[in-house]
Amino acid sequence: MTTLREVPLVVLTVAVIVLIATYLTWLASRLDRLAVRVTDARTGLTGQLALRVAAAGELARQCELAELGEAVVRARAAHAAHAALAADGPLDNDAEAVENNLSRALRSAQVAATADRAPDALHAVDVAAARVALARQLHNDAVRDVRALRSRRVVRVLRLSGRRPLPAYFEIDDALPVRSSGDGRIDGDGDENKPDGGTLNGDMTGFAP
Amino acid sequence: MKIGLACPYTWDVPGGVQVHVRDLAETLIGLGHDVSVITPVDDETTLPPYAVDAGHAVPVPYNGSVARLLMGPVSAARVRRWLRENDFDVLHVHEPTAPSVSLLTCMLADGPIVATFHTSNPRSKILTAAHGALQPSMEKVRARIAVSEAARRTIVEHLGVDAILIPNGVAVGTFRDATPLPTRPPGGATVVFLGRIDEPRKGLDVLLAALPTLVARCEGAQLLVAGPGDCEAVLDRVEPGLRDRVHLLGLVSEADKPRVFRSGQIYCAPNTGQESFGIVLLEAMAAGAPVVASDIDAFRRVLDDGHAGRLFPVGDATGLARALAELLADPGERGRLTDRGRAVVTAYDWPMIAKRIVGVYEMVAGDTPVSVAVGSQPKTIRHSA
Repeated sequence: MTTLREVPLVVLTVAVIVLIATYLTWLASRLDRLAVRVTDARTGLTGQLALRVAAAGELARQCELAELGEAVVRARAAHAAHAALAADGPLDNDAEAVENNLSRALRSAQVAATADRAPDALHAVDVAAARVALARQLHNDAVRDVRALRSRRVVRVLRLSGRRPLPAYFEIDDALPVRSSGDGRIDGDGDENKPDGGTLNGDMTGFAP
Repeated sequence: MKIGLACPYTWDVPGGVQVHVRDLAETLIGLGHDVSVITPVDDETTLPPYAVDAGHAVPVPYNGSVARLLMGPVSAARVRRWLRENDFDVLHVHEPTAPSVSLLTCMLADGPIVATFHTSNPRSKILTAAHGALQPSMEKVRARIAVSEAARRTIVEHLGVDAILIPNGVAVGTFRDATPLPTRPPGGATVVFLGRIDEPRKGLDVLLAALPTLVARCEGAQLLVAGPGDCEAVLDRVEPGLRDRVHLLGLVSEADKPRVFRSGQIYCAPNTGQESFGIVLLEAMAAGAPVVASDIDAFRRVLDDGHAGRLFPVGDATGLARALAELLADPGERGRLTDRGRAVVTAYDWPMIAKRIVGVYEMVAGDTPVSVAVGSQPKTIRHSA
């Protein structure tokens, strides 16, 4: 039996429990929302990587570039392997190595030399590369926000994020190739205030990291 | 695409963010998108058909000026209704760190959100202090855009995240086709200044100090000064014999701004403070005015290292006078600068800028449209005794 004097104590305890429960529910809803954001960003990133491979493959085919063709074949094989994985499987180190390999091939002198033979295909590759850089930035931003929240002690101890694996950053070298032809240019830095509209005709440009 | 834009500042009060949101909305509509803007407004009748009233904003002194802010249950209800009635593919909030409609929208919405940051504020104590409180809203933002390198640095320093740089757009057509003011000074040697006349960083004093030398080298030289401030006080700073060379227009309307640039031979930007972005230079170039500007980072970038306009050392009145006199005496060079300026400004034309912004929208938009966040609905709580 509670006496009359204990009533305020009971009310207070209930209030504290309700507050804590509300806070934890709110944290869990933030984690859920961030998980959706990471999944969407990841879908966007893998989509853009696939488009880049497609554009690079087209350029390699048109200009018969053996080195680029090889990088494309490796990247295609890696994408096919990933498609077999679960949607939230890791974009692991192998995937990073394959994409790095393709980035390097796209910056080679042979690719730059295709500007005269296949300007449209090269342009498509450059646009795709800029989109990959943007998609990767958005993906890693989302991953960072999740990791920040999940590093909180209350989230770790109470396992508020359930069985979801901790998302990993996707780190590749996606620096955009520098094309010196004509009036425009793509710069990694230094000219950030310029919309680098010259080379890529402004449709999807200036997403230098 | 169905796009929702949130503007934090009162629509019918002049300001850069409002102009940006208006121009972006109208350009997107022109490109065939379905756009709705939510914004605080004082006089609802000034709202264009694509905009929705979020309520009256309250003026609050902040950072040396007056910010008009809006947070409250009435606005929250309006934002919720706006979100519910429009299934936006993308929600684009502007300046979401200001306690107003944009932040409110961020708090209440769920789904693909893009945010644009306009302010550059290197040492904002408020922003640093509010970081933790803002984080739950900021982590909903899927892509951040900064309108200038300085704005981008501010985000990196205060929020610890990077942003995509897409500069402000310029309504090139409006500036190109403007007619000169009927009250413009006669003669063909007029230098235009536009900006707050009592704000030292805008550099009117440098231009006034250059006037005696300029008049000595170029007999007919005159100044056309447009911008708010105390006109009497400005004239007091000019030698009595030169006062008739200085024409003060006072505050000019947004509609008259393009006409001001077309009412002289040269546009001069003698700013001494670090501007975050030289939008006013781009506007002058769009209007076809050759530009003479101080050699500060933002201006140097916009003027393509001096190819698209003359640069002079910051605060150097003699150097400014020389540059102005040379240019006033050389119509051929003025024509070349006008042509180069127009070439530079095409990359900043709103349709070009809007297409880059749509590129970001496409990157974040998914299958699910923006919705009202779960848990943000006001619950009816019944108190039992």
